[in-house]
Amino acid sequence: MYQGKSTLGGKIALWIVILIAVAWAIFPFYWAIVTSFKQPGVIMTTPSLFPWLQFTPTLANWKDEFTQRWPEISRALGNSLIVSVGATLVAITLGTMAGYGLARFRFRRWKNKDMTMWFLSQRFLPPMATVIPFFMVMKFLNLLDTQLALILVNATFTMPFAVLTLRDVFKELPKEMEESAWVDGASHFQAFFRIALPLAAPAIAAAAVICFAFSWNEFLFALILTYRNAQPITVVIAGVEHTQGVQFWFVATRLLIAILPPALLALTAQRYIVRGLTFGAVKG
Amino acid sequence: MPERSRVKYVFVLPGIIWVLCFTIFPLLYSLRLAFFQARLGKPETFIWLENFRRALFDDYRFWNSMSVTVFFVACSVVCTVSLGLALALLFNRPLRGQRLFRALFTTPLFTAPIALGYLGLTIFHEQVGAVNTVLLALGVENPPAWFSSIWPARIAIVLVDIWQWTPFCFLVLLAGLQSLPDEIYEAAWLDTSSSWDIFRHITLPLLTPVLFTVSILRMVEAFKVLDIPFSMTSGGPGAATQTYSFYIYLTGLRNFNAGYASALAYILLIVMLLISLSFFNRLRQIYE
Amino acid sequence: MSSKLRNLLGVLAMLSMLLALAAPALAQEPTEEAGMISGFPTTDPNEAKTALAAFEKADKGQPDPAWKGKKLTIAVYSGGQRGPISGPLYFWRNKFEELTGATYDIVEIPFAELREKIFTDLQTGAGTYDILINCSNYYGDYILNDWIVPIDQYFDDPRFPKWDRASIAPAVARLMQWGDRWYGGNNDHDAQVLYYRRDIIEDPKWQAAFKEEMGYDMPVKMETWEEVLDIAKFFNKKDWNGDGDPDDGITLHLKVGGQGFFHFMALSAPYVVIPYPGDPPTKVTKYHNVYWFDPETMEPLINSPGHVRALEMLLALSKAGPPAMWGWSLGEAWADFLSGNAVMTFSWGDVGSLSQDPTQSVIQGKLGARGIPGTKSPYDREKGQFLNLEKPNMVGNQVGCSWHPVISKFSKEPELAYYFIAWQSTPEINHWNVAYGWTGVDPGTTYDWFPPYGTATIEEYVAGGYHPDDAKAFIGAYQDNFYNYPIFQNYMRIPGTPEMQEIWDVHLSEAVTGQVSPQEALDRTYQDWVRIVEDYGKDTLLKLYQESIGYQP
Repeated sequence: MYQGKSTLGGKIALWIVILIAVAWAIFPFYWAIVTSFKQPGVIMTTPSLFPWLQFTPTLANWKDEFTQRWPEISRALGNSLIVSVGATLVAITLGTMAGYGLARFRFRRWKNKDMTMWFLSQRFLPPMATVIPFFMVMKFLNLLDTQLALILVNATFTMPFAVLTLRDVFKELPKEMEESAWVDGASHFQAFFRIALPLAAPAIAAAAVICFAFSWNEFLFALILTYRNAQPITVVIAGVEHTQGVQFWFVATRLLIAILPPALLALTAQRYIVRGLTFGAVKG
Repeated sequence: MPERSRVKYVFVLPGIIWVLCFTIFPLLYSLRLAFFQARLGKPETFIWLENFRRALFDDYRFWNSMSVTVFFVACSVVCTVSLGLALALLFNRPLRGQRLFRALFTTPLFTAPIALGYLGLTIFHEQVGAVNTVLLALGVENPPAWFSSIWPARIAIVLVDIWQWTPFCFLVLLAGLQSLPDEIYEAAWLDTSSSWDIFRHITLPLLTPVLFTVSILRMVEAFKVLDIPFSMTSGGPGAATQTYSFYIYLTGLRNFNAGYASALAYILLIVMLLISLSFFNRLRQIYE
Repeated sequence: MSSKLRNLLGVLAMLSMLLALAAPALAQEPTEEAGMISGFPTTDPNEAKTALAAFEKADKGQPDPAWKGKKLTIAVYSGGQRGPISGPLYFWRNKFEELTGATYDIVEIPFAELREKIFTDLQTGAGTYDILINCSNYYGDYILNDWIVPIDQYFDDPRFPKWDRASIAPAVARLMQWGDRWYGGNNDHDAQVLYYRRDIIEDPKWQAAFKEEMGYDMPVKMETWEEVLDIAKFFNKKDWNGDGDPDDGITLHLKVGGQGFFHFMALSAPYVVIPYPGDPPTKVTKYHNVYWFDPETMEPLINSPGHVRALEMLLALSKAGPPAMWGWSLGEAWADFLSGNAVMTFSWGDVGSLSQDPTQSVIQGKLGARGIPGTKSPYDREKGQFLNLEKPNMVGNQVGCSWHPVISKFSKEPELAYYFIAWQSTPEINHWNVAYGWTGVDPGTTYDWFPPYGTATIEEYVAGGYHPDDAKAFIGAYQDNFYNYPIFQNYMRIPGTPEMQEIWDVHLSEAVTGQVSPQEALDRTYQDWVRIVEDYGKDTLLKLYQESIGYQP
């Protein structure tokens, strides 16, 4: 634990460092917000950081996004939402069960530890190694440019994460209550649903948030497996690159639109973020 | 706990089968492709290990993208972990607004990397980007030409990655620090008054498992980097920021040379496996 | 975080998403009608007036009533609703609906991913797109895989509008055909020319200053790249536009994946392509009138001494411009010239027409243009040495994509698709597109040219908002390129062309940013091209290559 002497100088130095760290963390967002209020013509001619002082802010870019481009963007947001929620549901359902199984039962032929490591090793698998075959398979199944294809892919890539995190959560829950339920004649499923699940609910919700965010931000598979109807927001973001160059103003607006859902959800899951992001290896 | 019951398989099997189905089949398929000359609009021909030979011994783009990636991974891991550690030490004290800071540091993690890459492009733009605007205001005469020289371009993509992932290391290491037992510190302060000694002899050793985990996870993620060079530099100038994943993407998905791209992907897979194997035992202990 | 606050945030997040889903229903309706004049999405009455006139005059055929209610999908590179190539699709959509009762969706795809998306669609037979607004160098792969539909079968059908194929500059018309069949409609006509600031170059004050500094008269005609280099060097870092800051000599761009390699293609042609000494000078032999491959062996010529010297010239030119330009895209390089900060640039017709758009340009009335300069020392591969000519070697080009529509084999409505193509190809509509800079449609037909090459008049251009002298310079440069240059650079469109050019693009970027020498960059390109040729099959490619450049073995 920290035991330093808090002299005034030390305090000031500390706060200066903290301020720098905070500035570093929020600067890109500040830049995005400022850029989104700049007129396209102004952006490419005069570098500027401060609205009103250096340029006159305009709502034109936002208006453009929410009127002319809205059909495309809203469709993409809808797709992203459906894909992320779908993938999260699958990953969390199967992941909770597997996590519970790994935490509560002992397996002989394939040891618990090995299964856990196997799930972890999925994270080591470069998506590049599977994207071409995935494309071929989806083409074969006639699933190209469907939300289902992306749900399948994202569920697969987020599930190991859900398994590992939730295994860890269930391990920490006292098993006595479930054991007494078994003695009372409850089946494993009843014990799982009535006792373990409610206790783990907040952690499961947090894991779901992270699965959601992973799926929401996924780009490579979305780019390859969709071309129009099922395009999620990440692919639309890539559409800011026009023939004459990147449109700075739409970079800013779309980044801000896209970050909202996962970031807001993440704030609700603060407590579990650390554990989640380290696959349960570090307790937050 | 009853062990004979079959019901335990009902819990774990659906998840295992799902992941197996969706990873084993693609992997087998691309393993097959890796031994073929398979290109858009051409019949496939079996060519043994030719794709691998070509990659390892006859393709400077392979080695270029490999070294770009290794540079990227090394810089990103070292910087994010050490910055994260420094911040964690700083925040590991009673501090007003802790929660707010933590919330603030979480947001970068949830920004889509593809969007961040494009934002990076606007931030590092040589004439109207934020960075050079600030540098000029500070009196720097010739701010770096971020996208038209090799090292600035590489540094720019690393910086964006560092920005996104330092918060991750920070949050994890802070959690690690806060879980260290107070008693040890109380005892230690009786022996020495040097914070540095405390850090070196107590904090660091105790924190090693967490540091190890963080570094491994960061490394694994950094090796896969694609979105940021894709959107920020398109791999340029030249191929100076063409990371390995981006090279596979260009080969297989833009030029439809599926056979060769599969071989390249398998090489990456093998590299990752070797790396993970060398850490496997320690990881197993952590997951005990 | 307290649980109350957490719940609150959760609710907020959910609400914001619901809103995101509900909003399209709220937002979609009112936008359609705003900013429409006579059914054109524009705010400029003059634009709508001229467009309406063109629309009324253009042949409309006899649209088949069976087309009512049908819908096409058009793939195009992303330029936006008022941007190059994709803009006209938005502009004319309502009129298409008026004519046929059918409509179309426009799918914009970023340039870097365009080919990937189109080829994937065709390869999988998905048939998402009916019309592909494609780059002319995709043809090799199309033909090899039988992916597009010939359109000559519709030429005499009364249902379709008539368009004038003979009016198209032959060099570009060839790009819409393969063998003796037509596949593409008439749209964009690409070639690069040199643009410069007439007011600066012709200013006696600057000419005197040039003579004083360099010791000889300013070579205002800029017939060779060597002369261009001297002028660019002279003006670079001087404040010749009087804004208080040093300005640029020349502006170019070569960001990887941003079409920058086309610049080098245009620049290098006179160093590499030499005329046949006998008659006609355009005869293609092993050593004459070839640029890409040896037509006998399919060996890449890309690292020939001529190519290397041209790349050295590009590097020298780059020293006479803003140092950041190798990280630029098209738009940034154009903006530098249009905003009056560079004395010259060489690029497509877009620059000419954009210079007349006062919202983007401050150089209206100051534009000069000429065909791509030549050189007095091209490389002769037969003799194995650089020549020393009296008169510069001039080579015309059709560098670029010449974006134009073709019909996918997997389209379920090929006739309706052809109706759209034919209608957009009519002289009136195509000429209207050419006249407006934002459309990105560049001139290349007799109705764009002045007599004796064509039928256009200065008055027409002036009515479209052009400064008369600018129109003369701009159109004149293109006429020169298409009709007065003695020989032409071959347009490469064998299978694998886009792939070869993309890797070339990377190596050129390596050279200009100083990572490797020009020789090394082109040697690498050579090596990669040999490999791509082998992968595709050398014999197949050789035959197609010989056909495409008109080489008789």
